[in-house]
Amino acid sequence: MSKIKLKVQQEAISHASKGSMLRPFKALAFLGRKPVTEALQARIAADIYRGFHLNDWDKCIGCSTCHTICDNAAIQMVYIPDLPSDLLAGKKPFRPAIDYGRCCWCGLCVDICPTGSLALSKEYIHTCTEDHIDSYFILPDPKGMHKQPFEKGWEKSDQTDLLLHHRQTMQQLPALERIQNFDEIVQGFTDQAAFEEASRCIQCGFCHDACPAQMHAPEYIRAIWEHNFEQAVTQIYRTNPFPNVCGRVCTHRCESACAMQVRGEAIAIRWLKRYAIDKVPHARVKALVSQSEISKPDNNLSVAIIGAGPAGLTAAFDLVQQGHKVKVFEAADKAGGMMRYGIPEYRLPADKLDEDIAIITSMGVEIVCNTIVGKDVSMEDIVTEYDAVLLATGLQQGRSSRIPGSNHKNVYSAIELLAKIKRQEDFIIPHKAVIIGGGNVAMDIARSLARLQQQYYANINIIVTTLETKDAMLADDSEKREALEEGIVLENSRGPLECMVCDDETLEGLKTVACLTVFDKEGRFHPQYDYTDEVIYSADMVVEAIGQNTVLAFLGDTITEQLEWQQGKIKVDNEGHTALEWLWSVGDMVKGSDVIHAIAKGHQVAKSIDTYLQNIKVFS
Amino acid sequence: MLEKDAYQQIKEKKTLQEVLQAAIAFEKTARDFYQSLLTKVSKPLRGLVLELAQEEQRHYELFTEMAQKQNLAEILQENILIPKMDHRFSDYIQTPKLSDFADDQAILQYALGREQAAMEQYRALAKETPESELKDLFLFLAIEEQAHKSELEKRYYTMVYT
Repeated sequence: MSKIKLKVQQEAISHASKGSMLRPFKALAFLGRKPVTEALQARIAADIYRGFHLNDWDKCIGCSTCHTICDNAAIQMVYIPDLPSDLLAGKKPFRPAIDYGRCCWCGLCVDICPTGSLALSKEYIHTCTEDHIDSYFILPDPKGMHKQPFEKGWEKSDQTDLLLHHRQTMQQLPALERIQNFDEIVQGFTDQAAFEEASRCIQCGFCHDACPAQMHAPEYIRAIWEHNFEQAVTQIYRTNPFPNVCGRVCTHRCESACAMQVRGEAIAIRWLKRYAIDKVPHARVKALVSQSEISKPDNNLSVAIIGAGPAGLTAAFDLVQQGHKVKVFEAADKAGGMMRYGIPEYRLPADKLDEDIAIITSMGVEIVCNTIVGKDVSMEDIVTEYDAVLLATGLQQGRSSRIPGSNHKNVYSAIELLAKIKRQEDFIIPHKAVIIGGGNVAMDIARSLARLQQQYYANINIIVTTLETKDAMLADDSEKREALEEGIVLENSRGPLECMVCDDETLEGLKTVACLTVFDKEGRFHPQYDYTDEVIYSADMVVEAIGQNTVLAFLGDTITEQLEWQQGKIKVDNEGHTALEWLWSVGDMVKGSDVIHAIAKGHQVAKSIDTYLQNIKVFS
Repeated sequence: MLEKDAYQQIKEKKTLQEVLQAAIAFEKTARDFYQSLLTKVSKPLRGLVLELAQEEQRHYELFTEMAQKQNLAEILQENILIPKMDHRFSDYIQTPKLSDFADDQAILQYALGREQAAMEQYRALAKETPESELKDLFLFLAIEEQAHKSELEKRYYTMVYT
């Protein structure tokens, strides 16, 4: 026995030895021999076999839901530089990579995938080249692994899908009922509907990234799902002091980015926000917000804010929490700006706006209404009295097309008329009205006038003329749909030419021509008309709902000269800081948009003002 | 850009050089007008007025350069062959009174009105002129004014409708 062992050791070849040059030819001797092993035949996998992953990169949006759900932490999201990234459309340049040292092929990642891009293949044998010999970490693509195509096995089906693709129905007043008055149309979710809607959320966070104010929507949706409404309100107030307003009229960019809309309907994030704030009593909200404030002692530095709209009040809300004294000067009789005087009651009841503002004032923000800067208080006094000043006056005036006849007394700006309606001021309700414009403001005034017509004449006669086609109109789809339901007529692709006035100075109507295209080849606004296609819409009132502008005469000549201007607007840096070190400007007057953008800008400018004030404090 | 009596002034010119010199003088007048306006309007409006002055200056330089070219007739032929779309939008914009420059919109309305008038007058001159190099020059000038008007219309639309 020991002799044989010795022989083996003697014949053993060192691993470093390459042997004789003739050694490869010795292998030829085996060619004619019968194999002593049997070839491995791959077992045919079932149609729903859960083998290695497949991922359709065109469908995948990089939402990370697969990564989040994987209990084995087998999925990591890998950044792919060449892939498109569009946060507003809900697309991120990440794709899942699988660690097959951890994966248990449970298929949860496939079942939860909101886009249906992930599937499992029928392949279970991992063969690879020397380069990948140690790798069990694979970035699957539609073909399989290492560009080797795999047949599809387990994939999403109606039976296995873990997601609910349709949103809960929101109760709304029917058209015939709502047109009789200015009552709020949207009735809000029931408890059960809100719970089920919240349960649809996959917590991917795309909504957070798309929101201008970066609201913590996944967190408050989860809190609603957990029936913890106070927690939901606390999460909302982290970034938004107008939950009642945004829960009703937000342009909900978050929903455009929602991963759930790829194969179904986006989560009703706006309505869930509304549900949460409606659910918690106002006094309790006040207590919660005061608890969550960042307590900083009063530092005797003061800020004047001109204009009590969403941007100005958001900045005020932040600045008082930083320990500054904040006084807001508002020209109107009540605070809120366009939220109060521009948005109809049926979309945003005034008492809900009052609740949001009451929370802001409860934090120490002082608002003085009926105070016109430049008249009731001078700009010079404000500059002397305060350490920093923020201009947040918004776009107070509606633009006029200035077409012939547009200076007639029965030709109104939509902004002016909406404010009259909100203030319940007297004006002659038109029997027939024509609106110029295709945005949300045009819809607001058309639908408000329709309600008044119904109340006074029991007959609705409103025509909305737009340059754009119905599909290209700027108004929200829901606004268009509801306006049509209420009996408003849309006349699309019509350009205004003249407000027709009779010899006796009576307004006769609006002359329009066909609008062939709205934009030129470079995408610039330049409508092209067909002047042979002329239509006159008879009306005793024409309302222009087009652009808006601001009036800044109150600044006075000296400050106006000291400031830098760009295309008629005050030039500011990214933080809203003007050329004057003590002056900031924010909101629609800088860049017009909507409430949530104004809130986002309000936070940004407050941060910049706070930094400035902290420096003053340190210096002094 | 043409003044009110420009039509008659240019009509009396007989050669390409004479017409072009008249057009250059009109552009200079327009430029000087906007430059003088700069001192009268508030600072937020000055950017717009300055741009209008610069555009008139650009036309002034273009025409001056053309006047020095030996092959002026050829250049005109090349340029008038390029069709330009007139959107006619400014037909329906009311020209404010010269003294009324209350806002940016009024300034643009005024500029649009002037460009419209210039374009129409050059077109009328071209129509009245028999086929000749002079007719080509009028057509060229009308096209130039129309292009300027078109740019102003885009600005106007963006300002008022968005």
